[in-house]
Amino acid sequence: MVYDLIIVGSGAAGLSAAIYAGRYRMRTLVIGDAFGGYTTIAGPIENYPGYRKIDGFDLMMNMRAQVAELGGEIQEGRVSELKKEGSGCFTLKTQNGKEYFANTVIIATGTEHRRLGLPNEKELTAKGVHYCVTCDGPLYKDKTIAVVGGGDSSIKGVNLAAEFAKKIYIIVRGNKIATEPINYERMQKLGDKIEVIFQTEVKEIHGKEKFEKVVLSKPFNGSTDLAVDGLFIEVGLIPRSELITMVGIELDERKYAKADAMMRTNIPGAFVAGDIFNLFEGFKQDITAAAMGAVAATSAYEYYKLHGDLCILHAKAPTV
Amino acid sequence: MAQVTIYSTPTCGYCKMAKAYFTENNVAYTEKDVSVDAVARDDMIKKSGQLGVPVIDVDGTLIVGFDKPKLAQLLGLA
Repeated sequence: MVYDLIIVGSGAAGLSAAIYAGRYRMRTLVIGDAFGGYTTIAGPIENYPGYRKIDGFDLMMNMRAQVAELGGEIQEGRVSELKKEGSGCFTLKTQNGKEYFANTVIIATGTEHRRLGLPNEKELTAKGVHYCVTCDGPLYKDKTIAVVGGGDSSIKGVNLAAEFAKKIYIIVRGNKIATEPINYERMQKLGDKIEVIFQTEVKEIHGKEKFEKVVLSKPFNGSTDLAVDGLFIEVGLIPRSELITMVGIELDERKYAKADAMMRTNIPGAFVAGDIFNLFEGFKQDITAAAMGAVAATSAYEYYKLHGDLCILHAKAPTV
Repeated sequence: MAQVTIYSTPTCGYCKMAKAYFTENNVAYTEKDVSVDAVARDDMIKKSGQLGVPVIDVDGTLIVGFDKPKLAQLLGLA
């Protein structure tokens, strides 16, 4: 199949790009392996203009409906190969063997959770070690949990989990909580239920069939052992940059894509959007991702108008 | 018609995705909210040996997470 634009990634950046591309009347396909990206597991969203409060999943479903109304296609799949042909046409292959051609591409593959990288972490995942407070936090009703990390997603998760858990320890490597003041105020209102352990790291994770305890880098209440029922890890994100590298887009020193403010990369016809590009440094929100998607689609449209159908050879019907 | 049970929590995005998939494909299902139903929670842990949601039971076959290709196969939607 030949498209004017293929967007890889179906989070806020990818779907926003598809909405704009639909309005530009580009033949557009969105391929993503995780519909909605992190927004679907973000819980309630209260800072996306136009919505006083909306569940992240519902926000993404609304965007999906908007894409479909404008004629965009959305498919689930993981793109495993991306290259630019001599003609300027991009070819994409998915893991399940499907092949697509596109005159322009927008890569909006986002990020994935950083892991602590400790022994037992993988083996005990979902057996007491978790990466999604909004998903699995409610399973710890009347239990004690620890959340590792003091960023925005961590504190949002703490505020949600506090509805269920009886006690939450927050283990923070630095000496401050780095969240929006509104989330901080909510956390403070939780009182004694929350205890922050500053300037401390998790050094070991213990458990056999099930997670049992962590060992801290320094004593807390007289011991480096902290036994809790569940451990939630929210220690930041790392870019999913495989396709960026594959197609030859330059990376910055942190392995995020390099691009200009119009989302243009060093590869003509290839654009990026969303969390894969550190345009706003560490500030990653739905609104920034959606804005980047809109800009990327506009740049792709301008490029397409100038260069025309570079995939015209692929558009011909196969000869028998 | 397959007997489908989903063990979920109210805030879990992947659970919502799975339920939307069932609805779009006219698949009837029973939902057990493990954040409030302790019996269901214990049942889920016993069956799946883990504490992540969603867990989906299709005629006795368990799927941990929203694994759409596997679900489609089990439900005859592939």
